[in-house]
Amino acid sequence: MARKDFLDIASLSREEVELLLEQAVPFKELFTRSVKKVPALKGKSVLMLFYEPSTRTLSSFEVAAKRLSADVTVFDVPHSSVVKGESVKDTIDTLQSMRTDYIVVRHQRAGLPLAIARQTGASVINAGDGAHAHPTQGLLDAFTFKEVFPETDGKKVLIVGDILHSRVARSTCTVLQKLGVEVAFLGPGSLVPKKGPEGVKRFTDYEEAMKWGPDVVYLLRVQMERQDAPFFPSLREYHKVYGITEERFKRISGEGTYIMHPGPVNRGVELCHAVMDYERTLINQQVENGIAARMAVLYSLKPGI
Amino acid sequence: MNIIFQGGSVASEDGAPVKADVWVEDGVVKGVATNLPVPDGARVVDASGKIVAPAMFDAHVHFREPGQEHKEEIATGTEAAINGGVTGVVMMPNTTPAIDTAAVVKMVLEKAAAVSRIPVYTSGCITKDRAGKELAGIDGMRDLGVVMLTDDGDPVADPAVLKRAMEYATEFGMFFASHCEVEELSGPRALNEGKKSYQLGIQGSPACSEEICMDRDIRLAHATGAHVHIQHVSSAIGMETIRWWKSMGARVTAEVAPHHLLYNEEDIGDYNTHYKMNPPLRTAADNAALMQGLKDGVFDLIATDHAPHTEFEKAQDFVTAPNGITGLDMALVVLFHNCIAKGEFGWDLLVKRYSAEPRRFMGLEPVPVEEGKRSELILFDPNGETTFTREFMQSKSSNTPVLDQTLKGRVEMVVMGDEILLER
Repeated sequence: MARKDFLDIASLSREEVELLLEQAVPFKELFTRSVKKVPALKGKSVLMLFYEPSTRTLSSFEVAAKRLSADVTVFDVPHSSVVKGESVKDTIDTLQSMRTDYIVVRHQRAGLPLAIARQTGASVINAGDGAHAHPTQGLLDAFTFKEVFPETDGKKVLIVGDILHSRVARSTCTVLQKLGVEVAFLGPGSLVPKKGPEGVKRFTDYEEAMKWGPDVVYLLRVQMERQDAPFFPSLREYHKVYGITEERFKRISGEGTYIMHPGPVNRGVELCHAVMDYERTLINQQVENGIAARMAVLYSLKPGI
Repeated sequence: MNIIFQGGSVASEDGAPVKADVWVEDGVVKGVATNLPVPDGARVVDASGKIVAPAMFDAHVHFREPGQEHKEEIATGTEAAINGGVTGVVMMPNTTPAIDTAAVVKMVLEKAAAVSRIPVYTSGCITKDRAGKELAGIDGMRDLGVVMLTDDGDPVADPAVLKRAMEYATEFGMFFASHCEVEELSGPRALNEGKKSYQLGIQGSPACSEEICMDRDIRLAHATGAHVHIQHVSSAIGMETIRWWKSMGARVTAEVAPHHLLYNEEDIGDYNTHYKMNPPLRTAADNAALMQGLKDGVFDLIATDHAPHTEFEKAQDFVTAPNGITGLDMALVVLFHNCIAKGEFGWDLLVKRYSAEPRRFMGLEPVPVEEGKRSELILFDPNGETTFTREFMQSKSSNTPVLDQTLKGRVEMVVMGDEILLER
């Protein structure tokens, strides 16, 4: 049964996840053709409602919607009446009156896309809400993972960094677990919650984590904007303890471990320069797959209006 | 008024309800005994299978007046109390302006005298405008009958200010009520730090935030000789902290709210703001520990922290929506349904902790249903039920988890003095 909204990974079944991943495959094949567009959403309208600055996700959704032939409007939040003090509820009522078919929303408040979804007939897609969820990122990560490892069950992924503030960690961890992947966290004690998701291993030491034998090391972005009230002593120390240093990279590349990162990367913090040129670094594939995954999501939903 | 309740059982703080008829005339309980003869001219109320109990008293309510009358007024708040079998309340001073001077206390009490059918008491602020800096007008508030000082909604962040206030106001015969948390640890004050905060992606407020402040405030009270009352305790270790300090002889009392006994962070589900309050709901293990603390007498009172907010305010996202749920319309039925009917505890505990002790705590006489005492009682039907629709609830707001739920138990009558305040 088609869903109205796409708000998180947690509420999807494994079958639904796999169906979405299958649907993304033909969309990705489209990208190699000279005409990259299909008429699937012709005549439908997609509204991009981004309350938080974003370049990558916003343009990825925009490209995805346009390749499905939808009409795309970007709601310019910094210049809208939202900054004049209009409540979110009133904004939603305004949007509802526009009778748009799909609303792609990013907001700094966790749970806000759900609140919007409950109050509108349009299909709502969560493009990231606070530290709660970033389900299309999760989906594109799963898609990228499955391209490398078609049999996902029993594979191992180590997620490294700021789990606490990361919606990417939450969604990607959840989707991988749904696909039978074992997930472990490594990061500073101040950034890895003591009561995290069930079934996730927790490492405190880089060497031990690597001994576990992950198939993919997934690096989370260090959020530089949090460095006013730091959760660790310095970026230098972070790189030394939790980053992929030159030395660690030798071992990783020797063992053929894959590297993923949601971008944008901080070179010299999460990873050293050499990682970016490594043939098993999947960062660019993630970006490309993001469009296909988002097309699959848009295509799968059924607006209620 | 001349009325006899026939065939019911009388609840008291001393033991299980005892079968007895109750005769009330001219605002006084004239007889409590089995097979009382029907006095001349008395109205006979069939109370068989029902409970006659002392009316309740809630020592922690927010009536939002002055300043936020769109959420609640003294008039609607006191009607919500009567609706729930409560005939006395203590208002918290976090109004706009805050209740921090004799002038505001006078305004509030005059308004209450004009609109309320039950006695209304108010606490006063510890510091001016609850800002935690300068002491509020202590003497003037005391002259108008204020005995409880609190900056409820926030702690007094600076321990030196609180210590000075304790040293000063204790000599006026006043006591302190503490909302405990360390603001730097609490973050956006939205929910407990734990499994749920990770899942919902919102920074949680750890139990230790509350426990550290609680311990600090009791230490300050102990050092200065003040009496401190710890409000709305939410965690197991908080409860044990109070137990320990009581064993050390500190002048500390404490209250627990029904929601902290009965609900926990899992109930929040998908950002349900009807489970958002401060201190936040914690875990099932905390529920169990608080219940044990209540039975052991660590908690002197049950108080609801009745905190009305409009539907619009609560419909915002979880972080933005304000903290608090209503309590007066439903606390008695909620506690009956979840605790008494399930054998968790008896009427004696409820009467003691939600009627007798809160009155003693405020320096008032309890209102037992005993011959010769002033009549202030309720008739409660344990076989009846109550559906908490918006229309049923008398509070201006309906931000409660039991909205539209049907629970066991029903308040049928509320009698105070010579007046029947409620009859269904």
